[in-house]
Amino acid sequence: MNILEAKNVRKNFGGVVALSGANLTCREGRITGLLGANGSGKSTLSKIIAGAYAPDAGEIAYLGKVVRYRNPYEAKKQGIGMVYQNLSLVAELTIWQNIVLGDETRKGYSLDDKAAKKKSAEIVQKLLPGLDIDKKVYELTPGEMQIVEIGKAVSAKPRLLILDEPTAALEEAQVKSLFKLMRELAASGVAIVFTSHRLWEVMEICDDLTIFRNGQNVASLDFDKDEKDAREIVFHITGSQKETAIAKNCAQTCGDTRLSIGSLNFGTVLKNISFDLRKGEILGIGGLAGQGQQELMLALAGNFRNLSCDAKIDDKKIKLTKPGKAIRNGIVLVPGDREVEGLFPRHSVFSNLIFPKLGMKRQSLFIPRKQYRKECERITDILAIKAAGLDVPVSTLSGGNQQKVVIGKWLTSEIKVLLLSDPAKGIDVGAKMDLYDYIVKEVRGTGMSVILYASDIKELVEFCDRLMIMYEGNIVRILETDEISEENAIRASMCVDEGSGEPVK
Amino acid sequence: MKSGKLRGSGIRRITSKPEFSSFLMLVIMLVLTAVLQKNFFETKSIMRNINAFAPLILVAMGQAVVILSGGLDLSSGSALSLLTCVLTFVMKKNDPASGVYAIIIAFLVAILLGVINGFGTGYLRIPPVIATFATSFIWLGIALFLRPTPGGESVWWFGVFYDFNALKDVSGFFGTVGAFLPPALVLILAGCLLWFMVSKTRTGRYIYAVGGNNDSAYESGIKTAKVQILAYVINSMYIFLAALFFVGQTGSGDARMGDPLTLRSIAAAVVGGVALAGGRGNVYFALVGALILSLVNKIIFFADIPYAYQTLVGGAIVIIAIAGSQAYITASTRTKEIKIG
Repeated sequence: MNILEAKNVRKNFGGVVALSGANLTCREGRITGLLGANGSGKSTLSKIIAGAYAPDAGEIAYLGKVVRYRNPYEAKKQGIGMVYQNLSLVAELTIWQNIVLGDETRKGYSLDDKAAKKKSAEIVQKLLPGLDIDKKVYELTPGEMQIVEIGKAVSAKPRLLILDEPTAALEEAQVKSLFKLMRELAASGVAIVFTSHRLWEVMEICDDLTIFRNGQNVASLDFDKDEKDAREIVFHITGSQKETAIAKNCAQTCGDTRLSIGSLNFGTVLKNISFDLRKGEILGIGGLAGQGQQELMLALAGNFRNLSCDAKIDDKKIKLTKPGKAIRNGIVLVPGDREVEGLFPRHSVFSNLIFPKLGMKRQSLFIPRKQYRKECERITDILAIKAAGLDVPVSTLSGGNQQKVVIGKWLTSEIKVLLLSDPAKGIDVGAKMDLYDYIVKEVRGTGMSVILYASDIKELVEFCDRLMIMYEGNIVRILETDEISEENAIRASMCVDEGSGEPVK
Repeated sequence: MKSGKLRGSGIRRITSKPEFSSFLMLVIMLVLTAVLQKNFFETKSIMRNINAFAPLILVAMGQAVVILSGGLDLSSGSALSLLTCVLTFVMKKNDPASGVYAIIIAFLVAILLGVINGFGTGYLRIPPVIATFATSFIWLGIALFLRPTPGGESVWWFGVFYDFNALKDVSGFFGTVGAFLPPALVLILAGCLLWFMVSKTRTGRYIYAVGGNNDSAYESGIKTAKVQILAYVINSMYIFLAALFFVGQTGSGDARMGDPLTLRSIAAAVVGGVALAGGRGNVYFALVGALILSLVNKIIFFADIPYAYQTLVGGAIVIIAIAGSQAYITASTRTKEIKIG
């Protein structure tokens, strides 16, 4: 029996198409895997089914009836449970209080805590034996929190359970017990949707598989009939288009080592990372979303105080424990979320551009406005920032131009290493080309080095001289000039073994 | 259950609680006061202290409930003033029954004040600081309308809320009880009982959930706005108890008498380990916080600090206390809060 049937679901966010006609079928007692590259629409579809987003078009039938939920709570009451990637626990309550939250039973005057504890203990016991349910959630590790989150969804006794990358924070033993619980639930008739970036997990646990690319489902496999072939799955994920290799002339232009990073460690997020960055090189950081790329950028820019790392710039030992130290050594981060981290949106272009000067250098008592205005005009010329003047608020500029301001504000200081974290996020194609053109020119001309992280793998493939692939906080591969292609990058991101084509744990 | 929980690292578990620092501070303050004030532990002195501390303790406990729910009440002082004015406005000196009407009416007004504050923050989504700041002036305005200058009448038996001896002519029992039991202590115990009962219900649990993470609570199917209203109403109950005490003590109403209590109650809650961000802390420890703040005043008085510096020193001690408890909380939770992603 089909528990869920989503047909031709469409969803746009602003001008960005997230789903363009997606279909998904979930059958009773079966575990359906969702696979796809970053931004292929898996999470969006999951959230639409769970009522967190409303679809723009399309139809969702649940238990044979067409439904349209206004919020996750309505869906939950009907038996659709979802475990989100970002957790929805109340940190100050204990594990068992979170599991029964909103669903407490009463016994006489007061709450029936005994029953609640018993119920929670049973579920937690299955997922992670030995976890004390009287602990408060803020005392837990991310993996344990994820387990409580799953326990909360399971305790509501759903008919359809959507797990959006539940294993990302879990250890292997925890994954095993999660799988055991999933099988139990499936055996009792629950339909489960399972999203994961780890190919081996999907192949181990799933009965059906639906693969997404560019907001559409491109393939559906039924493992009862179809073979579990990792190569074929990767082929569906990447699509068949062959990338035209762009001539990389880095070999000629790249000079000596500029920045050398050795055994960089930060918590459990970044593990033993070492690499060298050469002069005039664009080094890409790729991999699936959330494998530590952004954390690595932040770490290099000095945002983590208790970072351990042997860093050398131009053979000089440096510490990366404060943003100020990184900037003084010529390492500058252009953050991904310019609205939040890179700009003062309501201040003028002028004050945004001179801000680093005020912060970093010794100033005369009064700001030398005339001199700075001249410098700013020069910068807007170089970057071709289109603005109605230096005094308009930055928020009135287009996204691309805003991004240029973020980069421009560092141009008057001497940059040795430019860290670009998703610089083209949310800006249009034309502006994107302008921006990258400028960066490439600057790199080739001045010998500045760039580390580029982009969520869009095409940008990485196109502009990088070398590409590091990250997976769970490690660098698993470095693709050299002629190896860089979309397919290679995705294969490495999924940890598919080159020789056998099998997924590696 | 309890013994199992404390197994092994019992002491560590207790000391790692954020409330532990407040408790430690209270002990230090008590020792200091006892050293400075020779007769600190005499019955008379204890009774006098309880009377002096009661209003702050009650208002601070109410404030803690609101802060736990993710709100803040800048109107609690004005609400207290307003309630004393309402009580004395309704009461007629020659009509003993009017005291009962006054209590009932003031109780209903208290509930209304809480509902209005909760409605503004919960349903209209006005930030609590602004909503309650605005209502504080409304309460003050009404109070001034009812009683432009301090004064008013109260019935003869109202003094029972300050001293049981007020009724010793009625029955010898009150005279005996009044010798060792201040009514303020009964009011404080009533306040503790109120929270004890609330904490056993869904409302108690939901106040923590809403204050800890409003969105998660909403997604779990909790009517968050309703919980916020309830939190403000519970707060009003504490203010009501404090108003009874004040009118019992002075026999009059005053539109400005509650003003200093607003910020002191917030400070008391914070000193008691209630996190201003909401969701973390313990209502009973607002009581501890209020005691600490009150003892600070006593210590300054008895330490022979020149009068001109008393306010300054008092402020400095409060800052040290708050910074200390915050540092303690940060230190005991830091390891778990390394942000991921």
